[in-house]
Amino acid sequence: MKSTFVRPGILPRIDALRRRRTALNTSNKRNVYCDNAEFLVYHWSGKSETFAPATGEQASDHRINIGDHSCRVDNGQPYPFTAEMPSKKHGLKLDAGNWAEDYHFFITHSPAVVEPGDMIVGDFHWQLDEARFFRYPDEVHALGHEARKLGAGGISFTHTCPDLSIGLALGWGGLLAKARRNRQKFEQFGNLESADYLRASEKVAQGIISFIRSHADRAAGLAATETDLENRAIYEQVAEVCGNIAEQPPKTLHEAIQWIQFYQIAERMHGHGNGYGRLDLLLQPFYEADIAAGRTTREDARNLVAELFLRYGSYMSLGGRNRELHDATSETSWVCLEAFDMVGGYNHLGVMWHADIDPAFWRYACDVVGRHGAGCPTLLNYEIFRASELRSGYPEADAWNVSYSGCQWYCSPGNEYSDHDVNCLVLIQPMQRAMDLAIEQDAADFEAFWKIYDLEVNRTADALRDFKNATYLWQPKVWPEMVTSFCAHGPIEKGRDITDSHAVNNNFTSVNVLAVPNVADSIYALQQLVFEKKKYPLREVRDAVNRDWEGQEAMRQEFLNQPKFGNDHDGVDAMTVRISEHIREVLESRRNNKGFCFRPSLFQYMGHTYAGPMLGATPDGRKRWEPVAHGMNPMHGRNRQGMASTIRSFCKLDFTKYQGGSLQIELQPTFFPKVQPRGDLVMPFATSFFQMGGVQINLNVLALEKLKTAMAHPELPESQEILVKVTGYSSHFVVMDRRFQEEFIQRVNYQNL
Amino acid sequence: MSELSALIFNLHRLSTDDGPGLRDTFFLKGCALRCAWCHNPESFSLRPEVWWLSQRCIGARDCTRVCPEEALRLTAQGLVIDRERCAGCGRCVESCPSQAIEFLGRSWTVKQLVAEALKDRLFFKNSGGGVTVSGGEPCLQAEFVAEFFAGCQAQGIHTALDTCGFPAWDDWAPVLAHTDLVLYDLKESDPERHRAFTGVANDRIHANLQRLADYQDRHAGRPAIWIRTPLIPDYTATEENLSALGQFISETLGDRLERWELCAFNNTCQGKYDRLGLDWPLKGKPLLNRDFGERLRQTAGRSLGRSHDVHLTGLI
Repeated sequence: MKSTFVRPGILPRIDALRRRRTALNTSNKRNVYCDNAEFLVYHWSGKSETFAPATGEQASDHRINIGDHSCRVDNGQPYPFTAEMPSKKHGLKLDAGNWAEDYHFFITHSPAVVEPGDMIVGDFHWQLDEARFFRYPDEVHALGHEARKLGAGGISFTHTCPDLSIGLALGWGGLLAKARRNRQKFEQFGNLESADYLRASEKVAQGIISFIRSHADRAAGLAATETDLENRAIYEQVAEVCGNIAEQPPKTLHEAIQWIQFYQIAERMHGHGNGYGRLDLLLQPFYEADIAAGRTTREDARNLVAELFLRYGSYMSLGGRNRELHDATSETSWVCLEAFDMVGGYNHLGVMWHADIDPAFWRYACDVVGRHGAGCPTLLNYEIFRASELRSGYPEADAWNVSYSGCQWYCSPGNEYSDHDVNCLVLIQPMQRAMDLAIEQDAADFEAFWKIYDLEVNRTADALRDFKNATYLWQPKVWPEMVTSFCAHGPIEKGRDITDSHAVNNNFTSVNVLAVPNVADSIYALQQLVFEKKKYPLREVRDAVNRDWEGQEAMRQEFLNQPKFGNDHDGVDAMTVRISEHIREVLESRRNNKGFCFRPSLFQYMGHTYAGPMLGATPDGRKRWEPVAHGMNPMHGRNRQGMASTIRSFCKLDFTKYQGGSLQIELQPTFFPKVQPRGDLVMPFATSFFQMGGVQINLNVLALEKLKTAMAHPELPESQEILVKVTGYSSHFVVMDRRFQEEFIQRVNYQNL
Repeated sequence: MSELSALIFNLHRLSTDDGPGLRDTFFLKGCALRCAWCHNPESFSLRPEVWWLSQRCIGARDCTRVCPEEALRLTAQGLVIDRERCAGCGRCVESCPSQAIEFLGRSWTVKQLVAEALKDRLFFKNSGGGVTVSGGEPCLQAEFVAEFFAGCQAQGIHTALDTCGFPAWDDWAPVLAHTDLVLYDLKESDPERHRAFTGVANDRIHANLQRLADYQDRHAGRPAIWIRTPLIPDYTATEENLSALGQFISETLGDRLERWELCAFNNTCQGKYDRLGLDWPLKGKPLLNRDFGERLRQTAGRSLGRSHDVHLTGLI
C-alpha cells in the first residue's frame, strides 16, 4: 500500500475545519505572548515566570506577540471564575495539593467545546496561570537579575515530551488507579510527601475524567436536538467516543486520536511548550487493528489525523528507527503525512531521516515540504538525535525512542525534564566584557585576550547555574506539571512531580546560546586585525563599536569584510568551532542540583531580532540596529558562496555534542523547475546535508514580493494565507510582530542553492 | 596531473540548470562568439579583469592609489576603469576595505579544481549530478578541460561539457574522451541570422554536431547529448527557427538525442554589462511570454517528433 500519494479531494467537512483553523490563527486568537524584548533575548525578564499570561492579574502591558502557535483559543475574555478559584478563596499555598485543587476547579469549570462537523472535539480558552498566581520567591528573582547582568537568564517551564503510550495503554481510569495504588503504598511505608503528591494527582485525574465526560454529555445533548441526520450521527459518535475514553483506555483509532487531543488540552491548560512524541508509533497499533477488523479505511484514518492537526498542530514526529533500530516507518506514517499534505497550513510535524529510512517515504516528505513550503514537515536527522542522547548518557533503551519535540530540540519521551529552549546565554556580553578587560590589562596577544574571554564566559555560566538551581528548588512547589507527570516514567511510581529531582531519569539543563556566529566573526576579526596584523589597537575598535562605528566606516568595512562563518573559510570556521566547543565545555562542566550538566543548544528562537539595539554594535562590522544571527545560521547576507559552502561550514561542528542547531533556508519558488516534483531536489540536498552531519532543515519556499505585499496589505486574503517557519516554529506572517517580519524578510535572499 | 591552469570567472554550486541533478558549474573565460543575448559578458575576454560594485563602494580610494597601471579613477559617476591599461593584477581588489572591486578570472590548476569539485561529491552522488564546465566557450581551453574531466571521472564524478559547438573539431576530441554528457547549443538554424546574432556562421556548428553523433556511435553511446536552445524574443524565439532546428536535430541525431532544452531569455545580466562599461543590445527587452514559450515547445516537439523530450526551462 506504500504507493506514491495522490492528493485526494478534500471532504467539505474537513475543508470547513481547515478554513476555521486558518481564521482562528489569523484573527489573533492563537497568539503566544512574552513579557517584553528582554524576555526574548534572555528568556526571562523578571515579570512573569513563563510566556506572558494573556489575561488576568499577571498579564503584561508591554507584551510582544511571538506568533500564532498557542494551543489555546483566545475568546477575548478573562477566565470568568477567577474569584472562585480555591487558592483565591482559601489562600494560595506553594504545594502540589493546593495547585491540584486549583487545577481541578479550573478544568471542571472550562467549557466542553463541541462544534458541528467535528469528529475530534475539544478546545480551551484559558491557561491556569491566567487564574492562579504564579511567581517564584524574591530570592530566586534576585539571582535572576544577577544572571541577566552577566548575560544569561531563563525560565523552567514545560518544554519536555511526555510518553503518551503510557496513557493510551491505561486510560484515565487506569492512570487514576495507578496513582491511588502508589499513594496507598507510600502511606503504608510512611512516605507522606509522596503520598500527598499522589493524592493531588488523583484530584487532577478526576478533574480530567470529568472534563472528558462533559464532552460526551454535551455531544449527546446536541444530538438530541439536531435535525440534520449527518450532523446528528457525528454528535452521536462523538458522544460515544468521549464516553468510552473518559475512564477506559482507547480501543479504536478514533478513540486514540480523541484521547491525544484531550491530553493535549488538559496538559496545555497548565502550560505551553511540550512536544507529544512519535505520532506514527503511537497510532500504529490502533490503525492496524482497525484495518484488520474492517473498522476503518486508509481514507477515514487520514481524515481523523487531519482533524487532530486542524485542532492544533503540535510538535510530533514521524519516521526514525524502532527499538530494534530498523526503519520505523509504516503505513501509519504515510497516513499521518498524507493527512498533513491534504490540509496543509499551520503544523509542527517533523520527519526523522536515518540511513535506512524507506526512500519512498523520505522522498514524499521532501516533496511535501517543497510544495507546502512553511517548514512542514521539518526535516530531521534521527542518527544525530540518537547519538547525542547516547553521548549525554541516556541508556539505549531510552535513546531509540527519541522524538523531535520543539523548535530545535528532541526528547526521549517520558524520560526527561531538561529545560529545552527556555534558558539563554547571550554570548556577546562576556565578549564585550573581555574587550574592556583586555584593554585594562593590556593583553599582549590573542591568547591573552582569549584567557580573559574564557574567564568571563565562566562567570556568566556560574551566574546562570546559581539562578537555575534556585529555581529548581522551588519549581515542584510553585508550579508542578501534574498532567505531564502522568505520562512520564517515574513520577507516579515515585510520587514526585516531573519537575522535581529524581522523578524522571534525565534532568539536564539546556541552554540556548545566542549569537555564536557573531561572536565567532567578531573574535576572528579581532584576532586578524588587532592581534595579528596590528592594524588597530583594541581600544580604538572598542570605542568605535561603542559609538556604533560612527565616523569609522572604513574601519567598519574592514571588520565586516574579514572572512565570515558560512563561506567554508577554514580560518573563521575553525574559530567558530573553537567558540562553540568552548561554550559547550564551560556549560558541561557545570552541574545543576539535580546532578546533571548544562548543555548548549546552537539555537535561540527569537532573541536575535531584538538583541541588536540592546547589546550594541559588534566587532564583526554589525551595526547596533541590525539583528544578530539566527541560531547557528550565518549572519544575514554574509554567506555569499552558496548553500553548499554554508553547509560545509555548518557541518564542521559536531552536532552530536549540542542540543540542536537548525539550518534555516528560505528559497524563492522560482528555484524549482515546474516540470519536476520538488522532492527530486529537496531530497538529495537534505540527504547530503544529513550524511555530512547536519541535524535539522527548516525549509521555507516563498516569494519575497508576496511577503512585502503582506507587510503593506495584511488585510488581503492572499496575505492572510502566508505561513512561514519563523525559526523553530511556524506562524502566519501577518500576525507576526513587525520587527520579526522585517528580520524575516532580510533572510529571504536565496534565488537558488 | 600536469600544472595546466585555466581562468575561471565564476563557480555556481548546486546548480539545477546545467545538466541532471545538483551540479557545480565552472565558468571559463574566453569565447569566440558574441551572442547578442549573452548573459555572461565577463566571459568574452581571455584575460583576467576586475569590475566595480557601486553599492559597496565607500569612496576610500585605496584602489586608485595601489594600481600600478594608473588605470583607475574615482569620478562623480563612479569608478572608471581604463580597460586598455588594466593588466588584471588584482591589487585593487586586495586593497579595497569594502570589497567593492571583484576579480574576474582567477587562475585554477586542474588539481585545485578537482579538489573543489570533490567537496560537493555527496550532493552529486545523492542527486545524480556532477560537474559542468561552461563559459565562455570551455573548448578554447580544451586541454585543461580534458584533464579536469579525467580527474573528476577518476573520482567517479559525472562530467558535462556546455559548448557552443564552434571550436575546431580536433580541439574537441581529447575532451570528449572524458565527457559523460554534452550540452550542445543550437541557437539559430538560418546561417545569415546566426551570423548576425552571434558573429559567426553556423555551418561548422552543424558539421560538428554530425561529428559528435559519429563519435558517439564509435564510443558505445558516450557521451550523452542534450541540445540547448536559447529562446530570445525577436531573435531565436520564432516558430520557423524551432521548426527548422527540430528537423535538423532529428536528421542529425535521431535517437542519439536524450533531451532538448529550450532556455527562456532572462535579463538579470544587465548589471554585468553596466559594470563592464558595455552596451547591451537587449537592454529593456521584455521576458518571454509563458504561453508563447509553450507554443514554441510544442512546435519544437512536433518537428522533432518526440514532444516529451523537449523541455522549457528558465521561465520566471
